[in-house]
Amino acid sequence: MKIREGFIIREVAGSFVVVAVGSAAKEFGGIINLNETGAFLWKALEKGATAEELVSKLLEEYEVDEATARADVDAFVKKLQENQLVK
Amino acid sequence: MPRYKIADVVFDAVPMYKYTVKLCENYAYSGDAQPEFTAAITQADIDAEKAQEGGENFPDYYLESLALFRKLCDYVLTKRQGIIFHSSAVAVDGKAYLFTAPSGTGKSTHARLWKEMLGDRLVYINDDKPIIRWVDGDFYVYGTPWNGKHRLDTNARAKIAAICELKRGVKNSISKISPQEMLLVVMNQTIRPSETDKVDNLFFILDKLLTTVPLYRLECNVSEEAAKISYAAMTGNKI
Repeated sequence: MKIREGFIIREVAGSFVVVAVGSAAKEFGGIINLNETGAFLWKALEKGATAEELVSKLLEEYEVDEATARADVDAFVKKLQENQLVK
Repeated sequence: MPRYKIADVVFDAVPMYKYTVKLCENYAYSGDAQPEFTAAITQADIDAEKAQEGGENFPDYYLESLALFRKLCDYVLTKRQGIIFHSSAVAVDGKAYLFTAPSGTGKSTHARLWKEMLGDRLVYINDDKPIIRWVDGDFYVYGTPWNGKHRLDTNARAKIAAICELKRGVKNSISKISPQEMLLVVMNQTIRPSETDKVDNLFFILDKLLTTVPLYRLECNVSEEAAKISYAAMTGNKI
């Protein structure tokens, strides 16, 4: 799984924001606000990762149990898929 | 070739229509400073404005004036650390207060309540499309000729003291809000570039703006009381 081309993540005024640039901007005019965990997962997905890899990364980086990490990853990936942000 | 000074930027324009020249006449410049760029408006620029939402309803001469504004804003974003900020901007005792919200919410109405309350102490910097710039560590709001349907602007600038998001409500209440809360509001009231480097310019400016200027949200009905409440909170003064 990888974030589709044409989306950039930036930190602005204390929050993480994703916008579309280039040709992606023609279809996607929205602004996505991510919290810290969301930004962490997003950046991992920019390089490409499986759901399993995302869960491992979360467990490495944050103090969280596996069930929660898995649930968070699933919910996040689902949101991205619903909005056609990953391929 | 008319020369203008808007938002402290001197530039030449090559318009096709008299409408544009008339619109900008209060900003004509005849000083010694050299122009920073030339804005030549082409039919392609006008067609691009026509392709924008609702653009097909407007005549070419009006769209030309929008195209000129877009070129100026692009220059200011790229070179002068500024953005267009769709808002009603007023100055009281030399300090500027900006009311922002989607069109139709009531920015101009609220600004007018302040005007009725404060009379000559209040000056309209721009009631619709001011430019704001980060200059020497402070944010200034500038008058522009694109001044809204009531034609309210002044060729002047003032330091921004506070920004307020307006929301329609039943009761009047004002509260401070965080940069995160205001970020999405502001991003919807400015031009969103599609090039990465321009987006980075925009975010640089927004980061500075939202972390240095006091931010408020006002829920209001259209009443004098709403104006008194926002004035007291944003200026720290009693009316």
